Amino acid sequence: MKAGRVRPAAPTRGGRPTAGQPTAVLLYIVRRLLNVVVMLLVVATITFGIFFLVPWLQHTDPVLRYVGKNANPVAIEGIKVKLGLDKPIYEQFWLYLKGLVAGRSYNNGPDTTWCPAPCMGISTQTQTPVWGQLTGDFPVTAWLAAGAATLWLVFGVGTGVLSALRKRSVLDRVTMVTALAGVSLPVYFTGLVTSALFVYNLGWLPESDPGVTLADDPVAWFQNMLLPWITLAFLFAATYARLTRATMLDVLGEDYIRTARAKGLREGKVIGKHAMRATMTPVLTVFGMDLGGLLGGAILTENVFNLHGLGYDALNGITKNDLPMIMGVTLFAAFFIVMANLIVDLLYAVVDPRVRLA
Amino acid sequence: MTTRNKALAAAALVGALALTTSACSGGSKSSDGGSGKGGGSSTFNAAATSIVNPSTKKGGTLKLWSTQDVDSLDPAIGYYAFVWDLQRFYTRTLVNYPSKPGKDGLALQPDLAEAMPTITDGGKTYTFKLKQGLKFEDGTPITSKDVKYGIERVFAQDVIPNGPIYLIGDLDQGQKYPGPYKDKDKDKLGLKSVQTPDDSTIVFKLSQPNSDFLYHLAMGGGAPVPRAKDDGASYAKHPVSSGPYKIQGYVANKGFEMVRNPNWDASTDKLRPALPDKVTFTVTSNADDLDSRLLAGSVDIDAGQRGVQTAAQGKILRTPKLKASTVDAPAATIRYISLQTKVKPFDNVNCRKAVEYAINPTDQQTARGGQWAGKIATSMLPPSIPGSDNYDPYNLAAGKPQIDKAKQALAACGKPNGFSTTIAARSTSPKDVKQAVAAQAALKAVGITANVFQYDGSQSASTVGSPAFMHSHNIGLNVFGWGSDYPTGSGFLSVLIDGRLISKSGNNNYSEINDPEINGWIDDAAKSTDPAAAAADYTKINHKVMDLALYVPGVVEQSLNYYNPRLTNVMFSQPLGMIDFSALGLSDGK
Amino acid sequence: MTAPIETTGSVAEAPPEAVLAGASAKQIEGRSLGRIAWERLKRDKVALGGGIVVVLLLLVGALAPVLCALVGQEPDIFHTDLLDASLGIGTPKGAFGGMSSTHLLGIDPTYGRDIFSRIVYGAQISLIVAFGAAALAVVIGVLLGMAAGFLGGWVDSFISRTMDVLLAFPQLLFSIALVSVVPTKLFGLSGSGPRILVLIFVIGFFGWPYIGRIVRGQTLSLREREFVEAARSLGAGRVHILLKELLPNLVAPILVYTTLMIPTNILNEAALSFLGVGVQPPTPSWGQMLSDSVQYYTVDPAYMVIPGLAIFITVLSFNLFGDGLRDALDPKGN
Repeated sequence: MKAGRVRPAAPTRGGRPTAGQPTAVLLYIVRRLLNVVVMLLVVATITFGIFFLVPWLQHTDPVLRYVGKNANPVAIEGIKVKLGLDKPIYEQFWLYLKGLVAGRSYNNGPDTTWCPAPCMGISTQTQTPVWGQLTGDFPVTAWLAAGAATLWLVFGVGTGVLSALRKRSVLDRVTMVTALAGVSLPVYFTGLVTSALFVYNLGWLPESDPGVTLADDPVAWFQNMLLPWITLAFLFAATYARLTRATMLDVLGEDYIRTARAKGLREGKVIGKHAMRATMTPVLTVFGMDLGGLLGGAILTENVFNLHGLGYDALNGITKNDLPMIMGVTLFAAFFIVMANLIVDLLYAVVDPRVRLA
Repeated sequence: MTTRNKALAAAALVGALALTTSACSGGSKSSDGGSGKGGGSSTFNAAATSIVNPSTKKGGTLKLWSTQDVDSLDPAIGYYAFVWDLQRFYTRTLVNYPSKPGKDGLALQPDLAEAMPTITDGGKTYTFKLKQGLKFEDGTPITSKDVKYGIERVFAQDVIPNGPIYLIGDLDQGQKYPGPYKDKDKDKLGLKSVQTPDDSTIVFKLSQPNSDFLYHLAMGGGAPVPRAKDDGASYAKHPVSSGPYKIQGYVANKGFEMVRNPNWDASTDKLRPALPDKVTFTVTSNADDLDSRLLAGSVDIDAGQRGVQTAAQGKILRTPKLKASTVDAPAATIRYISLQTKVKPFDNVNCRKAVEYAINPTDQQTARGGQWAGKIATSMLPPSIPGSDNYDPYNLAAGKPQIDKAKQALAACGKPNGFSTTIAARSTSPKDVKQAVAAQAALKAVGITANVFQYDGSQSASTVGSPAFMHSHNIGLNVFGWGSDYPTGSGFLSVLIDGRLISKSGNNNYSEINDPEINGWIDDAAKSTDPAAAAADYTKINHKVMDLALYVPGVVEQSLNYYNPRLTNVMFSQPLGMIDFSALGLSDGK
Repeated sequence: MTAPIETTGSVAEAPPEAVLAGASAKQIEGRSLGRIAWERLKRDKVALGGGIVVVLLLLVGALAPVLCALVGQEPDIFHTDLLDASLGIGTPKGAFGGMSSTHLLGIDPTYGRDIFSRIVYGAQISLIVAFGAAALAVVIGVLLGMAAGFLGGWVDSFISRTMDVLLAFPQLLFSIALVSVVPTKLFGLSGSGPRILVLIFVIGFFGWPYIGRIVRGQTLSLREREFVEAARSLGAGRVHILLKELLPNLVAPILVYTTLMIPTNILNEAALSFLGVGVQPPTPSWGQMLSDSVQYYTVDPAYMVIPGLAIFITVLSFNLFGDGLRDALDPKGN
């Protein structure tokens, strides 16, 4: 492990023509976008399958998931027609896919609702197209994720670097313990305690106003978002701190770092320029993956802090058995996860010059 | 988060407030100092029996928060107890409950109707005259045809399902009326049993006398709906108000506002004081946060009325000042454990009795939250329901397990060493699970092994509501709850024990009892025009249900609810099973 | 996750500079990397402490019945007489959640069950699930990750896309769907055993892509490296290269992820228990206790602190141990 510089390389896909050729990059992006479409199709198929497979395994009629107290035959029949559950499963799936591309209309009694493309169905709970609701709620989750990600990247990577530089020092240990506390405490707990402490005991923050948006009142919005950001970031920061520390230690042992030091480069420059760059590659890999796990965190955070984003929609869909909503959130989330991964892969090329796109 | 739970919707109907009849009418037997001619000052539970802070001061914004959204604002669909309470703001029906504390609140009064109906033809024909000057929020007059159209919508279960469907049973009479959307009649008024000879007269022709009919008419499904504004399932997004407030800006899972309806004429409505200028309803996802806001005074009342969370309960009960602004009255809801007669060995009455004796009623009560969350129930009729007595064949009131008697019953059943069974509980109702765990421990003491089976509460129609599922999973015991839809024995008990209502899915007769004698009493009570005779039938039914050991009654539910001290006219409504929101006002006018 | 560590122990060709870096380099020849790592680990007191706690916890889990017999308590016996009825929330009488000489860690609200014995039995469940799921994830992740990275081509495409799909999936949703279906049909209802197996499967199944991606990326970069080329040119077979050349170099990242996965798994188990699809009552688990205790956090803080501490200590000691192990295994370390 001497000559070759050990650095966790980017998970590049396939061969490796040289970076910097615009056509190659473009081709790469187009191919990846095609991949995205295929993946979304697979996710849609699996989600669709699960919700039809589960009742089948339980020997129950899927329509019974949607009826309330009065499971009278007329109501059951009505819901069947509304959701298209009276049709064979392949036809239902075909209609769903068709709706995604071209929109579809729902006919039930006097309601001939046109659901424009991309139609993810009509929420059984709110009677409105899922897509509109998701796009309406998406900014909340996006802001939550953006703020929290910034926090956890800054603090996670920062403490990780510090810990690596002061290996086994008091600082190292304290940071790690704090970071681990973040991981080992459930979000609903940290959320509950922070809001009880900062809002009701210390009074540092006002009660959140669930209706406020960034455009209405930036200050109130920021105060609303602060605790959710911290709570969510607390959950993830530890991973980054530990990963950064581990990678940084790895990198600091590399020959080229020694060389750089031997050349008399200032320590700040050695760390900041050379070591950091190599450290960022695995951090980015994990970051891409965590965007997937983020929805799980967002479900709890949004519900603890009463934010109406995708996580809230997801949990509501689950508890209210709103199948179109559940499938919609799944697809929507999957779309952003794969897009985020695409961007992360592109970023590799920026961070690590050895990575070429193909 | 409070669980979604239609089946537990306690009795609630659109109602009326008669402040003019003054505060402390009838039921004010408060021992907590809530008595006196001016009504109660705010002391613990004073609102259960009297009107706390009576006032006619108008203005301000009433802030309601809830951990769950409304199931539907469509009056024909809404089935949550608190939604029936909210309907009082924007929905009027022919007859309604008055907003009065105590038993006085249970007697129906005319609302849209000029007077109570004329009943002829041996109790089979009901004729109502509507008041003059009634208008919808858009200014169009409310006619008898709008009332009929609204009732017809209940029949359209294929388009707007999930609401109460009692009116279909009363009025279909073999016509198989499909609802107005598939009605061939050009005016969409094809339901034969309801006639509207003129715009202010509506006549109902029943096929047999029915002592419950007026209660069915008082539900949201009996409210007028303007045909021009009805767009089926989407009507829930913008119901047209006939009451003092109209709904604005409903967004699912977020909430809505109610502002004054300029076309509501106070002179036609003696029942609603309509004090606040505005009512807001906000959905939150964090129950503890809601409690914090309540105690901080930034929220007026928890619309769900399912009781404060554990943390807040501890704080409230230790702080006299906070405790003074609470109410903790029993609703007509029982949290029970049913015993399945079609699952061995519970086909044998002695094995069922063994469970009744083995159970520890105090532990059941503690599991639900102790004395503040309910009193130990000894039979299957809540005390507020006519016909209820103190029947207690298994001496449950003593609050102790009776190991010896349980073992004798087991021996009589031929299972002296006990047996193994499964107890079902909704994972979405943590208190149900705790009840199941407490039962599990009590049964273990007499040799009965009960495995807890948890399921998602929203799946109850296809799990515990499916007899085949119960049999195949050997579920002999089922923790559930039931609240009355209207305050009579049939409104509470018939659905649970009528053998003809056993269905393949969405079944509520969990014990699968189909007893000719019980069925006969149910029919007898329904036909009876005398409420006392009907009540007597239900006394007999209740006794037999207990003698057959079909249910371990558990507790009669109550919830400790805090309200903002600035609220006026706070009272616990018996038919609603909670504080009557439509009566509330704001002492500071803000 | 013990497998990779053991493999590392057998690595013979430790870089000479690492060996030289060993403090007491009396015997330069013949010392395996495992041996060196052990020497280093022994000097890292904090890591060693973490390791000892992990071992102790494992012992506690294994000896749960004995420990409970020693204090004379059982996890499922109610002591409702020790509960305070006045607030109606069933909190224990006495300070610190009813701690006493009979109930060392107090009793739980509502039922009055002995918390010590529940924690001890809970350790059993939580650790079995967390370790089992992590082991499953590591085995699948390493196998498929290495296969993808090393073989490339359509194998890589297939495995990578599978991982992408799994990572893009709301896992909680999937878990609920799976857990609610599988046990009732395949294992019957009685007992917690089948449930634990299902939990291990579900949690491990969703954990492997994380490991898989890391391993794949590392394999991709390592396979082009000089020492692999060297082995290849010396005629080493694929299996040899995979096991002897690549795997040892993957140990460090795998370890880091495994140590992070254990606490995540404990919390996943907690979340599933919280949703009613985890371990069935009355069988105790830490996650269940913590979830249950949240509602009592102001009135009976001890009830929350105990399972919280148990999880925290486990997570912490495992991480400290993992960190130390990583440093010790690092060939470039000093």
